[in-house]
Amino acid sequence: MINPTTPVQDDSETNYHNNSGSLRSQMSRGYIHGDKDCPNFPCHHPDQNCTFCFCPLYPCEDPLLGEFVVSKRTGGNVWSCQGCHWMHRDDVAASLFKMMPEVGPEGLDLKVRMELKERLQGKHRRRAKAIMVLGATSGAGKSLMVTALCRAFRNRDLTVAPFKSQNMSLNSMVTDQGEEIARIQDLQAKAAGTRPRGELNPILLKPKGGVTSQIVVEGRPYRDTTVQEYYSKFVPDEAPAIIARNLERLMRSNDVVVIEGAGSPAEINLRGRDVANMYVAKLAQADCLLVVNIDWGGAFAYAVGTLALLDDGERKLFKGIIINNMCPGGGTIGSLDIIERKTGVPVLAVMPHLPKLYLPVEDSMDLSLHEGGEGATVIAIVRLPMISNFTDFDALGLEDNVRVVYANEPSELNGASAIIIPGTKNSVTDLKWLKESGMATAILERAGKVPILGICGGYQMLGRRIMDVHGLEGGVSAEVEALGLLDAVTHFDSYDKRTVQVTGTLDKAGGTVRGYEIHMGRTERGEASPLFIMDPDGRGEGMLDEKGLVMGTYLHGVFDLPAFRRYFLSLMGGPSSIATEAMDQDAAVDASLQRLAKEIEEHIDLDALMGDDDDA
Amino acid sequence: MRKLMVQGVTSGAGKTTLTAALCRHFFMKGMDVVPFKAQNVSLNSFVTDDGGEIAISQAYQAWASGIEPTRNMNPVLIKPKGSGQCQIVLDGRPWKDIGRGGTNQEMIEEIRSHILRSFDDLCLGRDMVVIEGMGSPVEMNLKDRDVSNMWLAKAVRSPVVLVGDIEKGGVFAGIYGTYLLMDEEERDLLKGFVINRFRGDASILGAGIEELESRMEMPCLGVLPYVRFSSPQEDSMDLRQISGGVRGEGDVRQRWIKELDGLLEKWEGTWDLSKVEGLVDRV
Repeated sequence: MINPTTPVQDDSETNYHNNSGSLRSQMSRGYIHGDKDCPNFPCHHPDQNCTFCFCPLYPCEDPLLGEFVVSKRTGGNVWSCQGCHWMHRDDVAASLFKMMPEVGPEGLDLKVRMELKERLQGKHRRRAKAIMVLGATSGAGKSLMVTALCRAFRNRDLTVAPFKSQNMSLNSMVTDQGEEIARIQDLQAKAAGTRPRGELNPILLKPKGGVTSQIVVEGRPYRDTTVQEYYSKFVPDEAPAIIARNLERLMRSNDVVVIEGAGSPAEINLRGRDVANMYVAKLAQADCLLVVNIDWGGAFAYAVGTLALLDDGERKLFKGIIINNMCPGGGTIGSLDIIERKTGVPVLAVMPHLPKLYLPVEDSMDLSLHEGGEGATVIAIVRLPMISNFTDFDALGLEDNVRVVYANEPSELNGASAIIIPGTKNSVTDLKWLKESGMATAILERAGKVPILGICGGYQMLGRRIMDVHGLEGGVSAEVEALGLLDAVTHFDSYDKRTVQVTGTLDKAGGTVRGYEIHMGRTERGEASPLFIMDPDGRGEGMLDEKGLVMGTYLHGVFDLPAFRRYFLSLMGGPSSIATEAMDQDAAVDASLQRLAKEIEEHIDLDALMGDDDDA
Repeated sequence: MRKLMVQGVTSGAGKTTLTAALCRHFFMKGMDVVPFKAQNVSLNSFVTDDGGEIAISQAYQAWASGIEPTRNMNPVLIKPKGSGQCQIVLDGRPWKDIGRGGTNQEMIEEIRSHILRSFDDLCLGRDMVVIEGMGSPVEMNLKDRDVSNMWLAKAVRSPVVLVGDIEKGGVFAGIYGTYLLMDEEERDLLKGFVINRFRGDASILGAGIEELESRMEMPCLGVLPYVRFSSPQEDSMDLRQISGGVRGEGDVRQRWIKELDGLLEKWEGTWDLSKVEGLVDRV
């Protein structure tokens, strides 16, 4: 509950605290955000605001913000606010900073302090309201619902954070601190206007093929696990503490935490072992919403069945059911009240099919959702069995005249203007598939004729060899012949993962490139020229062959900014009527987030959802 | 005359394939079996020997049963025409177009009498019929207009097996919710459930299945493994799944049946069909 790195304020400090001189000097420093030069930083939280290092409200004696502890020095009771994030939130500090001159540091007697605190509490919750979105099935629309809620609350000037205790996804991205989180939580953080970070998605499971998955905890690789071991060891022994500490921090530092469940909360074969749904709901005492996709049929059954399989305490947390994906003119839905009669939970909203939005989406199964565009320029993505980070290609959809397709077999490369070998969770086994499926031969036939790009695992495959002497990728020690289109050799030396956000310049044509690296293994470039020159040290990244038609890079998100996207498209023959205006992916995403928020505002009464209850 | 009906928790739960597989199974056991689906919504239709239009799925199920398709296997075929318009094909012939308003009670009664007449004609002299339902049987907003699920099961007194697709998640909730929304008479006809498209080690489902069996007082008849195989594409729902068409030479119908035999073989060992056989004589 409490960040143990902070020293308890002692009696002497309490006296010092109420000294108007120290408050005056604090005010004279101005509104300073985080004081990263301070030797104790961060004493509460990495995103803490240090404007009020000494709290003008101390000792507030508010049990939501701190507690009495026994003083080591005197043995008496002393108020500790170690665990308080409230005063160290940007918005709370800013509000108080504005109020302080009205009262002046001298006027801070108990009555004034309590009045100040009341006023602050009126604007900023001391403990976040938790709203949790659960789905009757996978693909019910939870992720987008959470994203929409995050942006809608953000638009109301609330401090918002998304949270998903456990996510299983191969579409991860890297934060500015080098932490790896699921791509969807990154999007939700953008929607919420908060910094993407590991605590938003403290447990990330990345399937590695077979029964093995990699567990990423708080953004860092933790260990590999099997399904069996995950449920029998990790979930009971380790997951609860990880989830609790991250959730608690978010509850202390936001007005709203919008929590996403995983799959269905009624997987009764996993009772007691599911830490992604009702476990979190109870921990946060969240107001829960159940999203049911009506598109497949059976929505009545899923809504009623899901709630019937929960226990009374769990069911009581549900404030509403959202019927999602109603198609226009989809028949009468007059008898929805039978759901409320059967479950005791009202249907809050019937959401329509959302308009086509430009958003990187989550789910791995349905690649067809990522296929798109109607253009004549076909870019074929090789559909590797362990394909990962295929959101890399969403940005290609910003270009007119481009069509992205996923190729499962060699014949599907016919007519492609360019070929991309994407990232994979397992380069060695997917390279084997590439050869056995005939895809490798088909790619080699096209080398020199159409541009071929390898990203991450795909880059490793384009090289000459992959050395996996410890069997880190393939499970057995191996030295594998790769496609040999690039003069590069990849080594898997250790169980290390490089996760970093990077920027650089496109060496050939100029222009900024931005991306993130998530890979095990390192690639030695032979004599060939690098594709990018990276900031800040000018190191070369990636490579291209002599003709400039075969390229490899470790950068995910390489197409997000227009420079490389345009360059890559310019290498293709055929129609060159590429969209005239270069669109930044960030701007496109933000516009979509606003539309999403508007949509949800129209269908759900968010004020009612937030309630008028005090945060006490 | 033995009867068995397959209903689904959702569209695309696997009703069509399960019906075809059951037809095939009983045919291989030497029974004179026929498929029946009262109403189908599909643009993929087939023309029978006598010039009637039915959904391709019922033609497929007929071939699985070792017989040629006839129009009374699928008396009502609804063909969406876009912008809310549908053509209703009744007894294999275009009957009328309907708009957004859908069907009125008078039309429903007429359709129901056609369905029962087709069913009686089809079953005459046969050993067994395997009936396929449509969508979910508990779309409460559509219940008074139902012609293809529980209305039919009640009318012909057929035992019902419910199939749920585990791939989407929430399969226990889907199955249990379907049961909870049925009335007493409907629950009497429901004899068991099947979990479809499972990947991995089925023992992980054990506790959930036991709980459901005890809540619903009926057995889980099988957990069917996910199998990739080719069959005729019924509707747009199927297109979303990676189901691989038929490639190469040869008669596509023979290929489909061969694939179906392969499917039954793969199911063997994970699914004790004798449990299903046992249901057929009950009701």
